Amino acid sequence: MKRATSDQKQHVLLHLVLISFTLLAIYPILWVLTLAFSGGQSLVVVDLPAEPGFLDRVRSVLPWPETVSLKNFADVLIDEPFGRWLFNSAIVAGATTLLGVFLACTAAYAFSRFRFPGRRTGMMMFLVSQMFPGTLMMVPLFIIIVKWLHLGNTYLGLVLVYAVTSIPFCVWMLKGYFDTIPIEIEESAIMDGASPATIFFRIILPLAKPAVAVTALFSFMTGWNEFILASIFMEEETAYTAPVGLRFFVGGFSAQWGYFAAGSIIVSLPVVALFYYLQKYLIAGLTAGGVKG
Amino acid sequence: MRLRAHLTQPVAVGLLLAALAGVLLSAWFLAQAQDAVLAERQEREVMMQGMAFAELVAALETAEPDSGAARIAALTSAWAARFPEIVTLRVVRSADARLLASTDARDAPPFPRRLAREEKPLYDLGQELRANVETNLAEGVFRKKQIDVVRLDQTHLRVAAPYSVAGNVVGFVQIEQRVAAPVPPSAAGKAALLIAMPLALFLFGTWFLPRRTDAGRPWVHYGIALLLLGVTLYGQARIGLGELGTREEGYAAELAQHYSSILREFQTAASAHGIAVEPVRENRWDVDEYQRPRLLITGDGSLDRAVFAKETGARHDRLRNALWGNAALSALLLSFVALGYARRLRLTLIEHRSAYAYVAPAIIGMLVLVFYPFAYGVALSFTDTTLFNENLPLGELWVGMKNYLAILGDFQVLRSTEGGWVVNYQNFYWTLFITVAWTVCNVTIGVGVGLLLALALNTKGLRFTNVYRVLLILPWAIPNYITALTWRGMFHKQYGVINQIIQMFGGEPVSWFDDVFTSFLTGIATNGWLSFPFMMVVILGGLQSIPQDAYEAARVEGASRWQQFRHITLPYLRPTLIPAVILSVVWTFNMFNIIYLVSGGEPAGSNEILITQAYKIAFEKYQYGYAAAYSVVIFMILLVYGVFQNRVTRATEAIT
Amino acid sequence: MKRNPLKVLFGSMIAAVLLGGFVTQAVAETTALTIWHAYRGAEKAAFERVIASYNKRAKGVEVTTLAVPYDAYADKITAAVPRGKGPDVFIFAQDRLGGWIEGGATVEPIDFYLDEQTRNQFLPSMLSAMTYRGTVYGLPLNYKSITLIYNKKLVPTPPKTSGELVKIAKGLTNAAVGKFGLAYAYNDYYYHAALQNAFGGRAFDPGPKPALNARENIAAMQLLLKWMGKDAIVPAEPSTALITSLFNQGKAAMVFSGPWFLGEIAPEIDYGLAVLPTIDEAGGQPMRPWVTIEGVYVSASSQHKEVAYDLAKYLVSEEAGLVLAVEGRQLPSNKAVYTHKEVSEDKVLSAFRRQLDTAIPMPNFAEMTVMWSPATTAMNTIVRGAAPPEVALEKAQRSVEKDIAALRKGR
Repeated sequence: MKRATSDQKQHVLLHLVLISFTLLAIYPILWVLTLAFSGGQSLVVVDLPAEPGFLDRVRSVLPWPETVSLKNFADVLIDEPFGRWLFNSAIVAGATTLLGVFLACTAAYAFSRFRFPGRRTGMMMFLVSQMFPGTLMMVPLFIIIVKWLHLGNTYLGLVLVYAVTSIPFCVWMLKGYFDTIPIEIEESAIMDGASPATIFFRIILPLAKPAVAVTALFSFMTGWNEFILASIFMEEETAYTAPVGLRFFVGGFSAQWGYFAAGSIIVSLPVVALFYYLQKYLIAGLTAGGVKG
Repeated sequence: MRLRAHLTQPVAVGLLLAALAGVLLSAWFLAQAQDAVLAERQEREVMMQGMAFAELVAALETAEPDSGAARIAALTSAWAARFPEIVTLRVVRSADARLLASTDARDAPPFPRRLAREEKPLYDLGQELRANVETNLAEGVFRKKQIDVVRLDQTHLRVAAPYSVAGNVVGFVQIEQRVAAPVPPSAAGKAALLIAMPLALFLFGTWFLPRRTDAGRPWVHYGIALLLLGVTLYGQARIGLGELGTREEGYAAELAQHYSSILREFQTAASAHGIAVEPVRENRWDVDEYQRPRLLITGDGSLDRAVFAKETGARHDRLRNALWGNAALSALLLSFVALGYARRLRLTLIEHRSAYAYVAPAIIGMLVLVFYPFAYGVALSFTDTTLFNENLPLGELWVGMKNYLAILGDFQVLRSTEGGWVVNYQNFYWTLFITVAWTVCNVTIGVGVGLLLALALNTKGLRFTNVYRVLLILPWAIPNYITALTWRGMFHKQYGVINQIIQMFGGEPVSWFDDVFTSFLTGIATNGWLSFPFMMVVILGGLQSIPQDAYEAARVEGASRWQQFRHITLPYLRPTLIPAVILSVVWTFNMFNIIYLVSGGEPAGSNEILITQAYKIAFEKYQYGYAAAYSVVIFMILLVYGVFQNRVTRATEAIT
Repeated sequence: MKRNPLKVLFGSMIAAVLLGGFVTQAVAETTALTIWHAYRGAEKAAFERVIASYNKRAKGVEVTTLAVPYDAYADKITAAVPRGKGPDVFIFAQDRLGGWIEGGATVEPIDFYLDEQTRNQFLPSMLSAMTYRGTVYGLPLNYKSITLIYNKKLVPTPPKTSGELVKIAKGLTNAAVGKFGLAYAYNDYYYHAALQNAFGGRAFDPGPKPALNARENIAAMQLLLKWMGKDAIVPAEPSTALITSLFNQGKAAMVFSGPWFLGEIAPEIDYGLAVLPTIDEAGGQPMRPWVTIEGVYVSASSQHKEVAYDLAKYLVSEEAGLVLAVEGRQLPSNKAVYTHKEVSEDKVLSAFRRQLDTAIPMPNFAEMTVMWSPATTAMNTIVRGAAPPEVALEKAQRSVEKDIAALRKGR
């Protein structure tokens, strides 16, 4: 009984912390929303009297559209083949996730469970691959993907690049997680005569669901938000991904920030949906019982 | 049985492989050098032709700007008739797109006539040569080729040389000429020798070395093999270089002879066609592609030995370096096999084949897509490639460590002026300092906030966590281009909400981007805000690996919250947290967008980080080689960090 | 849409004759051409209409368009074309032209195709922007420059001189409530150039020799400092997004901006356009904004260069220009377009046309790219008051000289 009240007190404190950070996290986004729903292309600057009082200031820092309109959203979706671009993005990011997570799982499993020469070098190589700045990579990547592999204007070309970009993090993350799964579980399975494949797919992967969820989200994001390579590799407007389409609204002299904000929100919705789905693997106590075996 | 043992003797096998590779590669280098010498001789011959003929045409055009065309046609056919190796000879006045003369049967007469549509390349070539000459003159450096040399095939060269009237390039002469094909010197015999030599070495190795084997002396055999390899390669190089020298002598003599005949024809043609030409004192026709005299052959047709020695010396030095490198590689190969590394490698691969099979797909993908661009970048970093010279082969632009010295050797961080000490914000070390500060601050904020929130969200029985979780990842979900610019707007001096809030509580508005420190803060605020959701998600994932009974046991033993965190949570988090930290250090170090979009490096470039600097050097200053060196330096810094961090964490791995 | 039927007939006859040369070889199969552009919205729609009408008239040619986001455009060209990929024709402003030519294998010279009639069809200085070291590399399509855009409710008659400008602006400025008479991105070198050029200032001395520290450039900076400081008619930290916000709320009465700005103006604002004022401090010389001119270039890797040139020529024709102007709201470089009533009587198009008379093309040297960053740093330093103009500009000049010397290295 006593325990419960102390928990509740603590929960109030936790809620306070969480609420304040949530406000901080969404405050700039509220401005983006305000702009997107304003129906115009520019943010409203609040009228302040010459000697503004406290309340005037408060009004000026609250993101609130004077008029609410869906015009920006409608224009973005109707004027441009935005649906098609979202579809392309979904395919590319989805395939990136599948390929990236699969390759990363097998590699991470080997790194975690086998002892073989070159293991450390291999792990290090994944890390090292992230260290070389990407600014000068664009032209060599174009040469490899478009000129040598003839994968220009294909989903596969993008998927390969994105998957390889996301693999290093996934391998390290999964390897770390696999390390925490006690080896005794596998040993007993081997006793029972399970094959390596069975052990990997039936025992290890289900136990590593939280890590797989994190890496899946990460891989998806890698493919979902990339702009420059997608615009360089693709040769048809119908083949563009959503970030490429989004960039049509800004750049050069003109910048239609209202459209861009609306488009950004549309683009972020699938990510939020995916996270909403994946978060069940990140809930306390879900897998802990399993590890005990 | 005995034979097999002999044949698989590691020293002997190594010697065979190394000798084969070394001898063949050396032979290839030598053959390449010989071909290059021949090609150069041929090009110079045709270029001399072109220069001399262009001078005649220029003199004619100067004398009779309008009615000279018929005389040019006559001169052209006469000149072509004198040199049977000339296939076609053309005179193009590109200033008004006219073909003045041509000996090519396919070029439809009459001459002069306007260039036909399909003859556009001729016009463009003329324009290009004119622009190149003018550019070099205006800039006072020779960076654009003034003579166009094309090898059409093995036996045909085409050279175009511009001619000028009254100081302006108005057209060019184009010579297509037959040249001798490079002859492989006694191909069959040489090939047989090349194969025979390593074989002989091998047989020697297999039969001679093992007989004297006793277990304690593998190093002696290795030493003998190394010596044999060295002697073979040295001998080959000596013979090859000697042969090359002989050829060079011969070619120089031929060239001098050729010059004399051109000089003779030049004078004959000048008097026959009544052209007033400047008397020939120095050799003004033997020039390089930038039309700078090479002075190998003097005006009267004799050879200048000093120039000859200099020209050949440079080439021999390059070739010698290549051969030394080749010898070193062969020795390495020999050592690799002879000392048993190859065998061990093979056995390892077989023993751990399933592990390698698991890892291979990911590694191969990376090798293809990451390490080729990386190798390209490293190669680029040793050159002074820029936009203006990117078409030249990298070998010609090689500058060694110059870029690195320029970056790392510049310690002028502080400069004294009348107004006191000023920081030189363009200096590498200042930028490095900012980059490190930027990385440390961001990762600390990201991990700190992420950890706090993840722990809060992982509390059992807490309500609404799914709502918080979804709202808290929004900064990561929304494209950062728009949020970064929103943050930039929030820091505006007059209209930005941050200054409004400061004023709300009676503070003075801050000009955020005018000061090094406050401008730095804008970047930190934005990037910290952007990066904590990722850390939060990673840590949430990591927290799931902690068995709940560990906490229960701790509670039973009366451990405090802090003790539980310190002794259960952190150790379990480590395997997932540490890679995430290392990688986010790497990513933050190279985080380009936020600096670029929020502060733009203001004020005065003081808040640039290394990656934005490298970007500017590459895409705003067009100095690709220098930018590549910058990137490699960034890479090295991160590599040192990664190795160091990995050492530290290696200890932790043993625990779990 | 009114068209002169005779002209159309004549135009198509010329096109037919030009096409004749290759039609014979292309009867059997259609020639497929690709053209890249960075348009969207109305500009894109008009552009695609022009391409459609070309496809209809040019037998045996099928042109497809590809819109590329501006931010990726130059990179996409630089990656693709020198490697034998990419479009047959592409459109971009002249500021990248020099870089592409110096890099090589990107833009095909078209000097050879250019006949007298085509040369003469453009507004003054259009073709010079397409010319690099004496060779023409593209056909000018549209131009853009800044002009004076004002809120009619606040400014009944636009100022003609800088004196009037300051006077009107002062009356409309109340910094405390965030209202300003004038707003423009004065810390951006592109926008500032109009003022600099009024004084006879320049980025380059004739030829690609930097001249950032010219005396006239310093004088222009001093006038800007006066507008900011003593007159206080402009807001601080003027980002383009902020200027749009201020203008849309009537908090900025006048703005120096270009045609792109018009699409961002809120519908309730009644705006007018006028030629940028003359500068009293520069002896009554007009402000001379930089014009960017979009050129149509034939790709060096195109397999059908003659057809590609024919397409380019059609795009800059009077017929195509009229569509681009009326439907795409663009400013074609073909001077015949401005003789049509629907263009000459359009208040926006004619206003920008008038502004062109005092405008000068932005340099197309590769070295221009080198200049932006040091110039921006100098501008920010001066505007912040961290250094006087002559010191900041001298520093920028030295930095640019060093960078240019690193590019122009002899072999």
